[in-house]
Amino acid sequence: MSAIETIPAELAIQESWEEQGGSRWIASEAIDVRKLAELMRAREARFVSITAIQIPDEEDIVMDYHWDLGGELLTFEVPVQDKQMPSIVDLCEAADWIEREIHEHYAIEFIGRDYEPLLLRAGDTVGVNLREED
Amino acid sequence: MGYRIPMGPYHPALEEPYKLDLVCEGETVRGAKLNVGFNFRGIEQLAETRNFIQIVALMERVCGICSNIHTLSICQAMERVLDIEVPQRALYIRTIMAELERLHSHVLWAGIAGKLIGFKTMFMTCFAVREQVMDVLEAISGNRVNYAMNRAGGVNRDITDPGAILKMVDAIEHSMVKSVIPIFTTSRSTLSRCAGVGVLTREQALACGAVGPTARASGLAQDIRKSAPYAAYAELDFEVPVETAGDVRARLLVRALEIIQSCKILRQALEKLPAGEIHTGSEEFEFPTGRGFSRVEAPRGEVFYSVRWDEDNYNPTRVHVRTPTYANMPTVRYMVQGARLADVPLIQASIDPCYSCTDR
Repeated sequence: MSAIETIPAELAIQESWEEQGGSRWIASEAIDVRKLAELMRAREARFVSITAIQIPDEEDIVMDYHWDLGGELLTFEVPVQDKQMPSIVDLCEAADWIEREIHEHYAIEFIGRDYEPLLLRAGDTVGVNLREED
Repeated sequence: MGYRIPMGPYHPALEEPYKLDLVCEGETVRGAKLNVGFNFRGIEQLAETRNFIQIVALMERVCGICSNIHTLSICQAMERVLDIEVPQRALYIRTIMAELERLHSHVLWAGIAGKLIGFKTMFMTCFAVREQVMDVLEAISGNRVNYAMNRAGGVNRDITDPGAILKMVDAIEHSMVKSVIPIFTTSRSTLSRCAGVGVLTREQALACGAVGPTARASGLAQDIRKSAPYAAYAELDFEVPVETAGDVRARLLVRALEIIQSCKILRQALEKLPAGEIHTGSEEFEFPTGRGFSRVEAPRGEVFYSVRWDEDNYNPTRVHVRTPTYANMPTVRYMVQGARLADVPLIQASIDPCYSCTDR
């Protein structure tokens, strides 16, 4: 079993990998993003980005965590609960700016970090949802 | 006693606005904070109001240097959603355009580095060489900045005379190998400004998620052209230069060696350019619900696109762009620690930053 195949079991999730649009992709409510960051760090995976997506006609937001492991793109999709997500900045410094940007775009609170200074010059209001501004 | 020096957002050493808040003791930099966001244009949100044709023109405006890379990235992502196969000739033309863009970007950077080092003659020499590359790009696409070459399913323009471009590649390579690269890699005045300056360790590069020449100069052997080949790269022979010193000189060396590799790739691609169509011919696509991801090795490193289309919609639900400077810029905080204040302009320039890309 390859190093990638064992990841779902190591994250204690039931779902398995799919191939989607050029990435190995897995979606699960049970993904612990901090455990994921620890696992990726242990394997010297490179953090690529986080994509926040607001589902059309719904309030729901999902977050895709993208990592590069040995040249392969891995995407982990996690739904956002109550507009809050655990921050992974203390485990993965590279996630700093994108968490700040998502915070400003979608008003998602990343637990366990601060945001100063604001990344996108949205004024002095922390946590403004730029997508819902007039 | 320490003091603070703000550098930017508008400063002669910065090509575009961003801000470095430097904490210094005497002439030594002890720490730095970075502020970006001065160029925020909301392109990701704007993309959600564009259809699959308009979006290509919009994404071309993300960057003024690697505009072609952004259209290539969005087109690849859309092609993955659509599950369409691009003709071989188009893949080779995409490769040729991408390498010409890398050449002009690296030579432009070398010129700016020459200026910041205080080597104005090298600045002029590099820009003269860059003009030759720009001429080739103009000859192929009709444009010098936004080439409008890519479309979902292929490219818009053919390369009708590969032999003429080969001659230009030979001339460019000759200029680089005979003058620019030897001076940059052996001149004492250049080395004294670059060797041991602005060091980024392998661990720091990995922690920051650094990409491109910045990562490769710190010993991380990563290049999307090799690890996840796109366009025609899987069929071409080339090497990925890697240095381990992590200083400005290493970043300079990596780019110099990459220029030679780009010429090698161009020569092969032009000689092997297959016959056939340059696009799929479809004028209309029906976008199913789906996700597409695209990664391309731009001159500054990996460009990442994530797109999502939902049913019965010409416009995407989401377009996310992660540019290389977005990943590389935070490394400057490490590079400037312990550096001389006078070296900061060169150190920050050594990642070849692009702030409008970063803010997008």
